[in-house]
Amino acid sequence: MKRTKQMLLAATAGAALFALTACGGGGGGGGGTAADFSKDYSGSLNVWGFENADEVGTSRVDVADKTVGGNDVKVKLEAAAFDAQKFTTRAASGNVPDVVQMDRQFVATYAAQGLVMPVDKCFALYDVEPREYWYPQVIDDVAYGGDIYAVPQFYQPPAILLNTRVMDEVGVTIDDMNTSDQAAFLDAVKKMTVMDGANPSRMGFDPQGVSKAGLWMLSFGGQTIDKDGKPALDNENNVKAIEFLKEIYDAQGGYANAKSFVDSFDVFGDNNSYVADQVGGAVFDQWYPNVLTSYADQVQLGATPVMTQDGKPFTVASGSSFVIPTAAKNPSAACAWLISLTSPEAWQAAGEARAETTANDPGRHGINTGLFTGSPESDQAIRDAYVKPSDYPGFDQVIDTYYTVAANGQSFGSSPAGQQIQTELQNAVTSALLGEKAPADALKDAQDAAMRAYNQVAG
Amino acid sequence: MANTMTVETTAGTRVFKTSKYNRREALAGYLFISPWIVGFLIFTLGAMIYSLVISFTYYQLATNTARPAGLANYEALFDDPKVMMSLGNTLFYAVLAVPLEIIFALFLAMLLNNVRRGAGVFRTLYYLPKMTPAVATASVFFLLLNGNQGAINKGLAAIGIQGPQWLLDPNWVKPSIVLMTLWGVSGTMVIFLAALKTVPRDLYEVAQIDGAGPVRRFFSITLPMISGAMFFNVIVLTIAALQTFDQAYLLFYRDTGTGAPDASLFYAIYLFQQAFRQFNFGFAAAMAWLLFLIIMIISLVQVKLGNRFVYYESER
Repeated sequence: MKRTKQMLLAATAGAALFALTACGGGGGGGGGTAADFSKDYSGSLNVWGFENADEVGTSRVDVADKTVGGNDVKVKLEAAAFDAQKFTTRAASGNVPDVVQMDRQFVATYAAQGLVMPVDKCFALYDVEPREYWYPQVIDDVAYGGDIYAVPQFYQPPAILLNTRVMDEVGVTIDDMNTSDQAAFLDAVKKMTVMDGANPSRMGFDPQGVSKAGLWMLSFGGQTIDKDGKPALDNENNVKAIEFLKEIYDAQGGYANAKSFVDSFDVFGDNNSYVADQVGGAVFDQWYPNVLTSYADQVQLGATPVMTQDGKPFTVASGSSFVIPTAAKNPSAACAWLISLTSPEAWQAAGEARAETTANDPGRHGINTGLFTGSPESDQAIRDAYVKPSDYPGFDQVIDTYYTVAANGQSFGSSPAGQQIQTELQNAVTSALLGEKAPADALKDAQDAAMRAYNQVAG
Repeated sequence: MANTMTVETTAGTRVFKTSKYNRREALAGYLFISPWIVGFLIFTLGAMIYSLVISFTYYQLATNTARPAGLANYEALFDDPKVMMSLGNTLFYAVLAVPLEIIFALFLAMLLNNVRRGAGVFRTLYYLPKMTPAVATASVFFLLLNGNQGAINKGLAAIGIQGPQWLLDPNWVKPSIVLMTLWGVSGTMVIFLAALKTVPRDLYEVAQIDGAGPVRRFFSITLPMISGAMFFNVIVLTIAALQTFDQAYLLFYRDTGTGAPDASLFYAIYLFQQAFRQFNFGFAAAMAWLLFLIIMIISLVQVKLGNRFVYYESER
């Protein structure tokens, strides 16, 4: 009947309308200018961050809370991971927290939008010289247009974590795992790899080719972001890096088969890839050896840095940071809290807390892998006070390698299109490794897309 | 409001005085539906109008300012190859997913329709996937679809078939999302089940006496009698398929540290990235309106074609 048809048409139209509500906006927002930070602050402080905080996080928060507590500031901590959509919509409404934790690679994007404020004056107010207190490469990550837009924390340098049991089994030495000698490296990878049909049952080496694509490209002398913040994905050295990664994966059944195998790893569990001898080596950030301390009796570890093509140890800066939104209601309290949170005193408290955990938890086998704070001064202080030789020489060598390589880190650079550059880079590497596109073509397409994003943001 | 009501009768037009009772009833009706009307006006119609305005501007979130852009955002849609790529992926998925969802849901509904004992239990069990959060479903499918260790490929290997790399091979990315979609087909199934319950049993009995087999009965009785529900499901599923977001996002984009194959870039995901990753709200709004137009056109074509095949019992 006519009415039935009308109802169907109405239902159709109604459902279709929802396609349009995907995009809305709001009012409010700020201007992206620095606040007049002052030591005379009060009120409350709202913080987003510290999801699943361990003793390192909570001990530092205690120190920072105590600092601002002296001015009767009440801190409300929302322990949640950074959510771009939530932050964006809240920014649109003007109802933002005073402090937000986010990955350092995203800071310039939000800075360019005027959503977060520069913190240079905050540092100046408390006599912090950022380029002296933090590693320069760490500060470079959060600098944009000559200003610093975030207070950084942590510096997780990636290096190659070796399974020396697998290496010994097939006669591969640590010297063979030198990425600047590509032919020897590939031979070592092939020796350690065990195939089951088309799929690997043991990977000689997991380069984490997509998630660590930037590391590989920079180690080959390439770049992802140029000094002006523009994307530089089609750099010819980037192409060489992908070609090398493809050779590594092809020696182990190809990217798709290798990735599926890696996806099945019990990364944090009792049957992790080092306990189960599923890898001969893999690129990991410094936090992973800390996870493996629980399995010290079951693993045999070593470590070596990724090398530049001229044979020098190399790593990249990565980690998180804290920003103060432009529309924050209490920027002065936020500034004081952040300076305290990342102070040598706070890191000292974190070092103590970690040492206590190490001593009280027999499952850690007395191994303290140290903390990589982003500040060389705090790193060294914690290492001197708490990182001692253990009963596990392999772990000691791993810890030493990560500490040594940290000084050789390089920043990816910062860009207002940082998020999109990162996304395009990873998608391009995925396409190239899967064989969808030739590496040069994939990077050219990624460069075009990233450049479009850059032009949209930078005008 | 006038206090009269005009009614056409066989004896001519008669004018009645509207009673206070009727006015109160009408007022109560409006009051009851007012939450929806207010919600619709603000959160749907208001958002639509706002997004239409934004689509003709360069909108700056931080300052809540917008520079006029004319048609630039719409022109940019055709300059950005990812828009067409994501649209192509989405259309391909819709063409693949909708017929399979219809067939699978109808199959399940017919099975349930024939269950006599414990029908309620089975209906509940079959509806459970719809109640499962999408994140949980995606996590399970992420494991099931693993090319090496996943249960699906292990099952295929048991019968001598080498399963594909579902989540990595560009040719299998969209079928893997379709598989996940089929898992949640129970909403469609329930509509079919309700329609099947309305088919008079005597039609089948008469057909059976006339010698019609099960296949003939299905095509000559079942299908025409439930064609209204079929039509509704096709339209709703098509719209949902063209707006697909969560399945693809959860399988391929939830971890920002890993790349995703181009084949997994759906239109709604690219729209989301433009709005909330790149703050390109004008462009994203233009994308939303393009999708709206596409959905409207497809729906109108379906309605036009559907009217030829749909059997409305009350029109007889």
